[in-house]
Amino acid sequence: MSLDLDRRGLLGAGLVGAASIGLGTGASAASPAPLAPGRSMADFTGAMKAFRGVVGAEWVFGDEDAVAPYEKAYIPDPAHRYKPVGAVCPQSLEEVQAIVRIANQYRQPLWTVSTGKNMGYGMTSPATPGQVVLDLKRMNRILEVDAELGTCLLEPGVTYQQLKDYLDDNKIPLWIDVPTVGPIASPVGNTLDRGVGYTPYGEHFMFQCGMEVVLPSGEVMRTGMGSIKGSTAWQAFKWGYGPYLDGLFTQSNFGIVTKMGMWLMPRPPVYKPFMVRHGDMADVPRIIEAMRPLRVSNLVANCNLMMSASYQLAMFKRRNEIVPDGAPLDDDSVKKAAKANGLGMWNTYFALYGTDQTIAGVEPIIRASLTASGGEVLTAAEMGDNPWFHHHQTLMQGGLNLDEIGLLRWRGSGGGLAWFAPVAAARGVEAQRQTALAREIVSRHGFDYTAAYAIGWRDLHHIIALLFDKADAAEHQRADDCYKELVVRFGAQGWASYRTGVNSMDLVAQQYGEVNRRFNATLKHAIDPNGILAPGKSGIF
Amino acid sequence: MTRSMLIMLAAALPLPATPALAQQGGAPAVALPVRQALGKVLPQRSPEQVYAKVCGYCHGRNVGPIILGRGLPAEAVRYIVRHGQNAMPAFRPTEITPAELDALSQWVSQSPARKEEHGQ
Repeated sequence: MSLDLDRRGLLGAGLVGAASIGLGTGASAASPAPLAPGRSMADFTGAMKAFRGVVGAEWVFGDEDAVAPYEKAYIPDPAHRYKPVGAVCPQSLEEVQAIVRIANQYRQPLWTVSTGKNMGYGMTSPATPGQVVLDLKRMNRILEVDAELGTCLLEPGVTYQQLKDYLDDNKIPLWIDVPTVGPIASPVGNTLDRGVGYTPYGEHFMFQCGMEVVLPSGEVMRTGMGSIKGSTAWQAFKWGYGPYLDGLFTQSNFGIVTKMGMWLMPRPPVYKPFMVRHGDMADVPRIIEAMRPLRVSNLVANCNLMMSASYQLAMFKRRNEIVPDGAPLDDDSVKKAAKANGLGMWNTYFALYGTDQTIAGVEPIIRASLTASGGEVLTAAEMGDNPWFHHHQTLMQGGLNLDEIGLLRWRGSGGGLAWFAPVAAARGVEAQRQTALAREIVSRHGFDYTAAYAIGWRDLHHIIALLFDKADAAEHQRADDCYKELVVRFGAQGWASYRTGVNSMDLVAQQYGEVNRRFNATLKHAIDPNGILAPGKSGIF
Repeated sequence: MTRSMLIMLAAALPLPATPALAQQGGAPAVALPVRQALGKVLPQRSPEQVYAKVCGYCHGRNVGPIILGRGLPAEAVRYIVRHGQNAMPAFRPTEITPAELDALSQWVSQSPARKEEHGQ
């Protein structure tokens, strides 16, 4: 354990005495960016020079202007802590291997990103200082698509947009399943962070199948059936033989995934989206209670989004269109604005997929249950071109949009967003308690409860968008304080995050317990003795 | 153009366009869309494609301000793409290549307004 704590202390907290550079990372001569602890300027410049020898000078970034695109982040960071010192951008497996060997030689930490667009989780920001971003966006080959099996094999830099365009261009009747910022996000990156989408294939890691991984030693390992010479089942059979390894490379820093297999849903003959409108904030438990049996039985097969009116309004409206600047966002004002836009206080979106006959069979059962919960069950016939209905209608068939970036303009223009995503079992009473706790905390810090529940097969992801004006220094600091209080107080109730941003990875890792941390650290030290891969990712050092 | 001038221009983005500026230049000829082949990296895209696949999801759709038909200086467009402006994310050279950005910034600067776009 002492080794674990030493590495955490060195990399995470104690920067006193660390070497620094005056270029890059938003640093100035007065406030230079720190190098990774224990590394000298000679180590850093040696590594950067060697990286240039691998990928060419045009794909290594170290000066202030060139690093700037890697610094943009929405998360709270009042201490300017989550800044990289450079970036290197390979285009092949062999280049990744060479970079990893150089990183070992100079003990230069690498923070790997696929497309770097996870929005409110930190984008390309590393969790600890002194890291060079290993930017895999140039590795964007679609390697295989099997239209019969409904599988594909992708490199990490492929975006959902590229995959969809490829399927459309080649008239392959398979769907993709997108997170809310699909056009610029990566299927590989999102799956490795265990993100979710909104078709029946929405639990992304469940539909992952086979990986190619560069280990911290520079060796290449294939998981599942991928290491069997001549196997045709790498993208068809998830488990391979022996311990299941793929999970080790999600939300972790044990390897660099350079190829990933994924299952794609056949386009159904009929797709029918629904919205269920409930009128009161207090309707939370009855919605969850009505939806759970439909999800557990798989009568409703897609991951539902149960959206609060305030979250929905924040996508396309400005806060001062609802209440004056400085005034609390009260329920009466929200309800009035929601009603004017065809929304309820909670708006739950689900869809049916099948044939006319199968949908006609299950729709009355679902309608009866949701109507009994006090909801109005609505379809395209009633909602027409309502922009919110259109947004979810698009998402639930794997369609692409960036509407949720509108959230960043809800409150001022500074662009501040941090996702807080605690998990609970899908029970109404838990959601009721979570909503009450979240509202108490965010309102005390002067923020709004702009939240949604993603209703999974048996779980709830409570997705709280903490929106703040990053251009306002006092508000920025309050957002940082608020986020930490959310993590700590939810954790005390047994609700920990399923995923978190670089601003809180260590805090959340602590909640999952010392035995779990020590196990992860033991693995980490065994396979990455120089600590070169993403120190601090998910609180693992 | 200095960095501070670019920032001032960026800050002025939500203001109405100047029609006289918007009419300078003229949009270049429309290029055929490039398609990505299996096993190959994404080839260089035309400005129209980059706009359709990235910028246009927000700009002109109520999420970001309208940028076409406003005669925005190409240099300001390049700066904002690389740094992100307020709610806008930054786009790295690995996402929009230097060659794509050079063409895109000229194209945005010279393109006429689109009637179907709306935004604030």
